[in-house]
Amino acid sequence: MTEAIVTIDHLRVTFGKGADTVTAVKDVSFSIAPGETVCVVGESGSGKSVTSLSLMRLVEFGGGSIVDGRLTLMRKDGPIDLAQADTTTMRSIRGRDIGMIFQEPMTSLNPVFTIERQLTDGLRLHLGLTGSAARARALQLLRDVRIPEPERRLKQYPHELSGGMRQRVVIAIAMACEPRLLIADEPTTALDVTIQAEILALINRLKREKGMAVMFITHDMAVVAQIADRVVVMYRGDVVEEGPVAEIFANPKAEYTKALLAAVPRLGEMQGKAAPEPLRLVGQKFVPKSLPPAAQPEPLLEVKNLTTYFPVRGGPLRRHTANVHAVEDVSFTLNKGETLSLVGESGCGKSSCGRSILRLVEPTSGSVMLDRKDVLACNPRDLRHLRRDMQMIFQDPFASLNPYMRLMAQVAEPLRNFGLATGSDLIDRVAALFDRVDLPRSYMRRFPHELSGGQRQRIAIARALAVNPKLIIADEAVSALDVSVQAQVLNLMMELQADLGLSFLFISHDMAVVERVSHHVAVMYLGRIVEIGPRAAIFENPQHAYTKTLMLAVPIADPNTRKLDSDLSFKPIPSPMHDRSYRPTPSTYDTVAPGHLVLRD
Amino acid sequence: MRGFLTAKGLIGAGIVMLVLAIALLAPLVIPDRMATAMDMRARLSGPSLSHIFGTDQLGRDLFFRVMLGAQTSVLIAGSAVLMSIVIGLPLGIVSGYYGGVIDNVLMRLVDTLLSFPALLLALTISAVLGPNLTNTIIAIGIAFTPFLARIIRGEALRVAQMPYVEAARAAGTTDFMMIVRHILPNIMPAIIVQGTISLAFAILAEAGLSFLGLGTQPPDASWGLMIQASRDYLDVAPWTALVPGAAVAITVLGLNMFGDVLRDVLDPRTAT
Amino acid sequence: MAYLINRLMSVVLTLFLISIITFAVTNILPGDVAMMIMGTQSNPEALAGLRESLGLNDPLIMQYGRWIGGILTGDWGTSLVFKEPIGPLIAQKVTASALIVVMSMTIALVCAIPLGVWAAVHRDRWQDSTASTVALIGVSLPDFFWGIMLILLFARGLGWLPSSGFVHPVDDFQLAIRHAFLPSLALGLGLMAHLTRMTRATMTGILGQEFIRVARAKGLSEGTVVWRYGLANAIGPVMTVAGLQVGYLFGSIIVVESLFNYTGMGWLTYQALLNRDIPLIQGSVFVIAAVVMLANLAVDLLYTLIDPRIRLA
Repeated sequence: MTEAIVTIDHLRVTFGKGADTVTAVKDVSFSIAPGETVCVVGESGSGKSVTSLSLMRLVEFGGGSIVDGRLTLMRKDGPIDLAQADTTTMRSIRGRDIGMIFQEPMTSLNPVFTIERQLTDGLRLHLGLTGSAARARALQLLRDVRIPEPERRLKQYPHELSGGMRQRVVIAIAMACEPRLLIADEPTTALDVTIQAEILALINRLKREKGMAVMFITHDMAVVAQIADRVVVMYRGDVVEEGPVAEIFANPKAEYTKALLAAVPRLGEMQGKAAPEPLRLVGQKFVPKSLPPAAQPEPLLEVKNLTTYFPVRGGPLRRHTANVHAVEDVSFTLNKGETLSLVGESGCGKSSCGRSILRLVEPTSGSVMLDRKDVLACNPRDLRHLRRDMQMIFQDPFASLNPYMRLMAQVAEPLRNFGLATGSDLIDRVAALFDRVDLPRSYMRRFPHELSGGQRQRIAIARALAVNPKLIIADEAVSALDVSVQAQVLNLMMELQADLGLSFLFISHDMAVVERVSHHVAVMYLGRIVEIGPRAAIFENPQHAYTKTLMLAVPIADPNTRKLDSDLSFKPIPSPMHDRSYRPTPSTYDTVAPGHLVLRD
Repeated sequence: MRGFLTAKGLIGAGIVMLVLAIALLAPLVIPDRMATAMDMRARLSGPSLSHIFGTDQLGRDLFFRVMLGAQTSVLIAGSAVLMSIVIGLPLGIVSGYYGGVIDNVLMRLVDTLLSFPALLLALTISAVLGPNLTNTIIAIGIAFTPFLARIIRGEALRVAQMPYVEAARAAGTTDFMMIVRHILPNIMPAIIVQGTISLAFAILAEAGLSFLGLGTQPPDASWGLMIQASRDYLDVAPWTALVPGAAVAITVLGLNMFGDVLRDVLDPRTAT
Repeated sequence: MAYLINRLMSVVLTLFLISIITFAVTNILPGDVAMMIMGTQSNPEALAGLRESLGLNDPLIMQYGRWIGGILTGDWGTSLVFKEPIGPLIAQKVTASALIVVMSMTIALVCAIPLGVWAAVHRDRWQDSTASTVALIGVSLPDFFWGIMLILLFARGLGWLPSSGFVHPVDDFQLAIRHAFLPSLALGLGLMAHLTRMTRATMTGILGQEFIRVARAKGLSEGTVVWRYGLANAIGPVMTVAGLQVGYLFGSIIVVESLFNYTGMGWLTYQALLNRDIPLIQGSVFVIAAVVMLANLAVDLLYTLIDPRIRLA
């Protein structure tokens, strides 16, 4: 092995003082060689970001301090210990020897400065470039990161660029002085899957062309499989395992790595299976049963031509000037005891569709039949009663529970609303619901802030189950959870379906999760369903161009199936906002196979 | 709750409790004549052992007058803030929770009212109604209402958009129960914080009104009134202004400190 | 352009509402202008005659129409106390107040922004607690308390500055500033404390943002990061708050101007209120509310120049 660019040696980082001291990184050692991508992977609280911030000595700005260890960086004039370096030295290293990109492209750029200014101030500082030379270099950088119309971009402000383009600019800034090490801290977590694929391919290409080393921080094993040469697995401030990527995936040694990998759904692993199947988690007492496919499908929810527009108002009198076409002529059927997934990227209308069905937003037109009852036609009183049959689980487990209400009261609320139980009967039923979602009864007296994210999501499920609904709409219900917790919640949902015959409308952006849980899948794009059909048909025989794009973009948690060889560039999604006079064409479909429909463009 | 155990929290809470105790107890403990007894030989005498804060232009003991003035100032400020919350709460909740046309009309009105400086509005109302204790409360109460309505509306709007409100609606919760169970408890911290800060402003407003002769009228005693009376004697007896002025300043400081700490503890989103 | 037209229409609507509120507030009064003019002991018949001739028996809506018509055509009526036409009277006093409002705002901003930034940079350390404590004490002291202290110190004690009166800047600029200085300081100190707290809060938020980390990761010095990257983002929100404080200032001038015998709008309004000079109260209150509203409009427009995100919206 060649001499490492960076060697982290027994790093220890703490936050706070005295009795409040928290050790974020306990004892971390690993090194990064030139031209190598090292992925540091772990769930929240593992200390992976703190490790990367320590290398830049940015951790001090967040109140942390490096209390022990050496951070050796090889510079042209020899090695230097970053843990001991003074402020001036660190400033000459940041942006020059080490570049860094961050998670949030929307806030990574200064909103009041032009792109040119933000690109060139590093060049001025480290390379002494000024005026036209700096400008020319900035243009070249924008070309390197494949931003269209680079001349125009220079004069623009961050808000005029899309999220993906902003992340390209942030990468250009980090690459400006050709650093020998690029630190990328969850750079694609906030991005849609197609943009993520583009950015991963870009980082991979830049690494090859410039021969720099990359330290890539992520929680996503699929991304690790796609981009890493070597992997460092972190857990609660310690390195639990380190090794080449193929080795880690094929033959994990640490218990934690095994558990983590078992919890990750892998795109394609459901091939040839008839029905959804719970994940086999490490340390699980029982072997989860496979769900048998329904013998005779019986429709529960029938949605026809559902359309939801959001009015855009402008002017001093707040006149209705335009519409956001959130849901456009959507039709589908969900059978009893089955799961239909709505999958798509942000802004495709999948959430609005779910909320329209519940009438949490009022649809513009169309019909929704739940068990032969017309949801859209009923008056507010009937609607309230109809809602007993359909419940919802939301994305953010922190925001979907009232912080000032005991968990018992929150789970009991639907029962009280409909007068279904009182007194000790109410308490018994709530206790039974806690048992059902595997939460100890002692939690009934607690408040939401005393629970973890996964536990809160269980409460949300218990609340949804309280009134024995037939349909549960789960809107990105597991996306905010760490992967191991996500697997547990997914398994719980599948178990409930098998036991209670529930139907799920599962709204998600995660193709691998969708493949795992669904009977049927509908792919949404710009408010419409572009392709719908049985899960196997969609994943094994995608027909619509957009479905194929999604399949191509989804990272697979298997280092033998790499997709990042060439630069990727997908068509950006157009705006769903139209003038009031705009009349969209109706959705018409071609039937590829029984039940497998593809939108005619 | 740990936020209260800081120097700021302890001092703030200490001052607030002390002022409240004085306002409640002083009228019971201190005989009226101690504050009204005129000692013409000791007019405008400086702080001494017999009059620790000195005396005013009529030879009345400033210590006792300040103690008794607390009651009026606290009564006016408390009632005025209570009044503005009682009016502003329903307006703000209706506006923020239901939105739509009601919200547009109400908030346009509130925004316009906010163009009138609160002190000017209070002075005008007080002058027009005729200055006395009750009308001072009404004047300050009305002048503060638009501000509180605006804050409450913003909070109600924020809470109404939270997923737990949507979840409750999906669970069949009626509008009334939604407001009682979900909206009110979640906007309460903000109201408590704003109420405390408004109390500080109301003490200042009462002092300002009375200082200008358009607030409390004699024989009611308030701190603002004492400062007004001192204006002609600033040169010879500055303590006649400084003593009640310091009473106002310390009370307001205590309320502001208490409000800051309350905000840190109850409402971390808007912590300064 | 569309934005400007929208704003302009909104301004007209708000001015209309301001006039209605002004008129309504001054008409809840028991007693009326006729009584003010003739006194309470006057002959009831003469009083009734005057009421008739002044149109006070007309429905309120007609009285309002007449009043707003006068405002629009430049006939603002005559002050009962000063026996002068109200229009020119107010115009003259507004300039006097503008001088101290601008001076106090300048004093406040010049001190508050560096102090607030300094506190935010040294968050939770002694610099921060010192600045925050001083600011907290500052916002807690009433304006007239500042005023009295300043009079005692600079006018009575040191004798450096006059404590009373107004001199027009055109007559003697230096003397005008000397007269305006103490009232401006009395107004400005509380404001400064408030803006320091605001600046600190805003900067604390901004310094926690990702683009600040990106700027540091580039190797920029802390000075550049804080004073260029950070402050460029804070200046908009701080200016907005400063704009909102114009309303607070126009309330405080009533107290401060009467304390310093500084004959501006605040003093004029106070005289009108003390003497229940209804036409003058209406005129003054209307003008102050309109000025406050326009000041906020000006800040909003200024914001669109500072922040590119709003420029295009």
